[in-house]
Amino acid sequence: MFQVRYKIPRLKTRISPLKVSLALLTLALACCLLVTACSKTGQPLELVSYTIADDTGDWGYPSPYTHYARGPGYIRMSFLFDTLVWKDASEFVPALAKEWEYISADNAYIFKLRGDVTWHDGVEFTAEDVVFTFNYTKEHPFQWVDSSIVESAEVLDKYTVKLYLSKPYAPFFQDVAGTQPIIPKHIWQDVEEPEKFIAKEAVIGTGPYKLADYSKEHGSYLYKAYSDYYLGKPAVDELKFVKISKEMIPAALKGGSMDAGDTPPEVISEMEEAGLTVITAPYAWNAKLTINHQKEPLSSKQFRQALAYAIDREALVQITQRGHAMAGSPGMIPPTSDWYNPDTPQYEYDPAKAQRVLEELGYGLENGYFTKDSTEFVLELVTTARFKEVGQFVKQQLEAAGIKIDFRTMEDKTVDAKVLAWQFDLAIYGHGGLHEPSILNKMITGEGFNSARYHADETLNELLENQLTEMDRGERVNIVRQIQEVYAEDLPSLTLYYPNWYWAHDGSVELFYTNDGIAFGIPIPLNKLAFMEYKAM
Amino acid sequence: MFSIRNLALYLIAMFIILALNFLLPRMMPGDPLMAIYGEEALVQMTPALKAELVERFALDQPWWQQFAAYLSTLFTGDLGYSYYHNAPALEVILGRLPWTLLLVGTTLIISTFGGIILGIESGWRRSSLQDKSLLTGLMVLGGFPDFFLGILLLIGFGVTWAIFPLSGAITPYSGFTGAALVLDVLHHLFLPVTALILCHVGVSYLLTRNTMVTVLKEPYMLTARAKGLSNLVMRYRHAGRNALLPVITRTGIQLGRMITGVLFVEIVFAYPGLGYLTYEALLTRDYPVLQGVLLIVAVFVLIANFLVDLSYSKIDPRIRYAH
Amino acid sequence: MHISIREEVKQHNSAKFGIAILLLMLTIALFAPLLASYPPNMQTPFAFEPPSFSHWLGTNHVGQDILSQLLYGARTSLLVGFSAALLATILSATIGTSTALIGGLYDRITMRIVDAFIIIPVIVIIILVAAYVKPSLWVLILLLSLLGWQGGARIIRAQTLSLKEMGHISAAQSFGASNAYLTFHHILPDLGPILLVEFIYGIRRAIFMEAGLAFLGITDPTIISWGVMMREALDFCYLDVWQWWLLPPGIALSLTILSVTFIGHTLEGALDPRLESEAIA
Repeated sequence: MFQVRYKIPRLKTRISPLKVSLALLTLALACCLLVTACSKTGQPLELVSYTIADDTGDWGYPSPYTHYARGPGYIRMSFLFDTLVWKDASEFVPALAKEWEYISADNAYIFKLRGDVTWHDGVEFTAEDVVFTFNYTKEHPFQWVDSSIVESAEVLDKYTVKLYLSKPYAPFFQDVAGTQPIIPKHIWQDVEEPEKFIAKEAVIGTGPYKLADYSKEHGSYLYKAYSDYYLGKPAVDELKFVKISKEMIPAALKGGSMDAGDTPPEVISEMEEAGLTVITAPYAWNAKLTINHQKEPLSSKQFRQALAYAIDREALVQITQRGHAMAGSPGMIPPTSDWYNPDTPQYEYDPAKAQRVLEELGYGLENGYFTKDSTEFVLELVTTARFKEVGQFVKQQLEAAGIKIDFRTMEDKTVDAKVLAWQFDLAIYGHGGLHEPSILNKMITGEGFNSARYHADETLNELLENQLTEMDRGERVNIVRQIQEVYAEDLPSLTLYYPNWYWAHDGSVELFYTNDGIAFGIPIPLNKLAFMEYKAM
Repeated sequence: MFSIRNLALYLIAMFIILALNFLLPRMMPGDPLMAIYGEEALVQMTPALKAELVERFALDQPWWQQFAAYLSTLFTGDLGYSYYHNAPALEVILGRLPWTLLLVGTTLIISTFGGIILGIESGWRRSSLQDKSLLTGLMVLGGFPDFFLGILLLIGFGVTWAIFPLSGAITPYSGFTGAALVLDVLHHLFLPVTALILCHVGVSYLLTRNTMVTVLKEPYMLTARAKGLSNLVMRYRHAGRNALLPVITRTGIQLGRMITGVLFVEIVFAYPGLGYLTYEALLTRDYPVLQGVLLIVAVFVLIANFLVDLSYSKIDPRIRYAH
Repeated sequence: MHISIREEVKQHNSAKFGIAILLLMLTIALFAPLLASYPPNMQTPFAFEPPSFSHWLGTNHVGQDILSQLLYGARTSLLVGFSAALLATILSATIGTSTALIGGLYDRITMRIVDAFIIIPVIVIIILVAAYVKPSLWVLILLLSLLGWQGGARIIRAQTLSLKEMGHISAAQSFGASNAYLTFHHILPDLGPILLVEFIYGIRRAIFMEAGLAFLGITDPTIISWGVMMREALDFCYLDVWQWWLLPPGIALSLTILSVTFIGHTLEGALDPRLESEAIA
């Protein structure tokens, strides 16, 4: 191999590719920095635009039969469609219905409707649409409303409807009149498969906003104000729902690229310092320890109570929620609620008492763990990954009291399946809806995996049935209080905590948490009424 | 070139994937209905509706009926219906594909050319300080997992110094058109592509450099120098050209792998491509979409391999004659 | 193919660096219970503490000591890395040598399957499987090895084929040596360095995959893993805690991968004499 020992003199033109590429890279970087400066001024100044941050993004096409079966899905639809009644910050207010009356003899409601409402396509809204809606739901139930409650609907005149109920139903306004979106007869009368109906017509409602764009892949929605809305044109011209990861929301809010969103508790003071308004959600959601009361040893009420004594719910809040929650009440209903019974047994943290109870039941302590007739028993605790820390805490606590726990995290579906099939000992779940006591029925005797599915107590069953049909509020409160006491005695599930939830916004729209949640109880501060007013910031 | 052997190969690969797609559902625990509609929904859902949904989604059909239907619908281009998106799976997947291609394309082009140039320069100046520091530097970078680099860039330039957007491919509803839109896309593209380039440039760099070193020892390089050619011409026209072959081959193979190789970065930046879709489909247990992605990606990889086979012979004439 | 590994390592600083780091990680993994000041799963009310004397890397969102978690995380990474790579290497050696020696239809069919698997995207398959079965650590190791042996099998087969032609092999064959005897007494020893390289790169792939999948939340979240730590740290990136929560596992992961890469490169360089003088430093 020849070694080249001499150098050939270099030619004059020497364009180092290295330098060229570096130059190009710098140019590209400069371009991008330029875009940053440019992109902030994309809006024409006359348009009032409001951007809402959301972690998930896509909640389905905002039509009553195609939005995803979760609160945020309903909310997006609620901007386009109206209900008979609605709620503002504190109470029920007229919506499509301006007046109503309950006829106890017929067990029916008469709703007098507004005469100045038009659908987004200009067609007049009449009682025909309401009756059509309730009849349509007999064949195509709306996912959030039990279609068996309204027996039949009758047109009395152009703007009057009579709804006959199948039985007295106390939460009628919350669950039905304030939740059921009214759909236009002239569009839906020929729709056989509502779940596949995603044409432009499917989002024609009477609501304050019209759908301008929906992108599934970007998880974004663009709403434009409907100028002929019966309450007047909304002050916010454009509403944008935009997708962004949860942990990025604080940065986006502070930076101003978004106007409102869910905020983690740790940055509240930071948000307020940056000039944002932070609002607190009322407690409506709980995490609870679901117990398999069909299986030994958990079938014993005292054993379940021992579990409650052994878990320090205050400490759980401090450690796993970093203090941003309220310890759970064994009666399920949170202490801040009007329905709360202050005499509900609380099972104050007392591991010694837990051990005494277990000993009374015939269990003996051996090597720090309880055994029955000298056979060790282990309880299996399953949770999803979301409750990993809570599960680890519960395991720690129960083992400290002498109950051996095998803790596993699993996929949502696997946990659900195990729980449904009663193949578990303990599980941790969460659910909302704690505004309205009908949740007690769903969560105590209901059939879902979330529910305790506890039918063993006749007194409790009777109380639960009665509370739904008791039309007198005072009486109903009494019944609900009794329910909490009995339920806390039986303890088929133990409520662990109610998390603190916050939203931050820039103050231009006065977002508020609707009393008892939006519609059937959605704890999100996106009530369409708030967008009727706007304050430039 | 493209032979029967390759065709058989591709068919076997597709079959394995189809078999996989079919077998896995049989191990499925629990009821998909639960996972799709979260807890709050089930709180509100009536039994009548639940029954209707089960029927609608044919969740109670025996597996062989589902599979037979699957195969026959595949031939009509129907990859199943996504429960979650309420749209055909194929539509959902094809909607996301362009973004992944944009990501992969940009990364490959820049990192390949960057790597080639750096490799040529490095190989030329073998064992110099520039060479050694470049070599060490790029190898160190290659050791970082791409998602870690992505996170660092995101936190640094997105959160701490808000120079770049925090997620997504474009600013939604910005009203941008034309050049402004292109710039917006580039703006969102910058951080993910940077993370990917930093990880992948080392590959083509190393390959080029090593090939350069070998090629530089060849007799024809000496001839070139004796002819009086400039260093630049020697580097690129003679040595570099011959170093291209392995790199292009490698890039072709990378093209196929990168479609899924950008998955982590897409997730970190919430970039709406196939990788992010796969992740979302995993979270929602959207089986048709998951299986569809596997199929589409496999098809892509096969196409990429095919293209590599084709270009292989163009770059190196010796191979053309060998076949 | 007789290379002195020791010689190679002595010549290359990068390999020395790699081995040193790997040994460090191994030590940490082995002695984690002794080195960690706290049980890594112990929750305390002191969340998001910055680094201090009592917690060198501070605490996470449930008050767990980050340094202890970091130390235990090494166990997971190395366990998965080594096991998956070992299994994969054994598989590729078995398949690679057997197809080369036996040949015929078995060879043709197997190699088509091998080639097909090389084309298939591994991560999508793992995610698809994870959608149905949440992988425990051992299922993960199994999956990674089942999806990782194909590349090595090809190389080993090629090597075995060329070895087969060598004098001493044909001689042994003419003396009546069985395939098994050939494999164990002649071929495998000669393949040694290649197997080692495959093993090393297998480790790198497996460690990266485990961390990546843990980051996505696909693996068991109660097992301490660097990937899980990074994911949890990212979830709180809006607080100024990522410096001591996100960086350490990321750097530890990168260092481990780097060290394995350096070792692998040095060995590769040894196998290919043309590259010999070009390995780093």
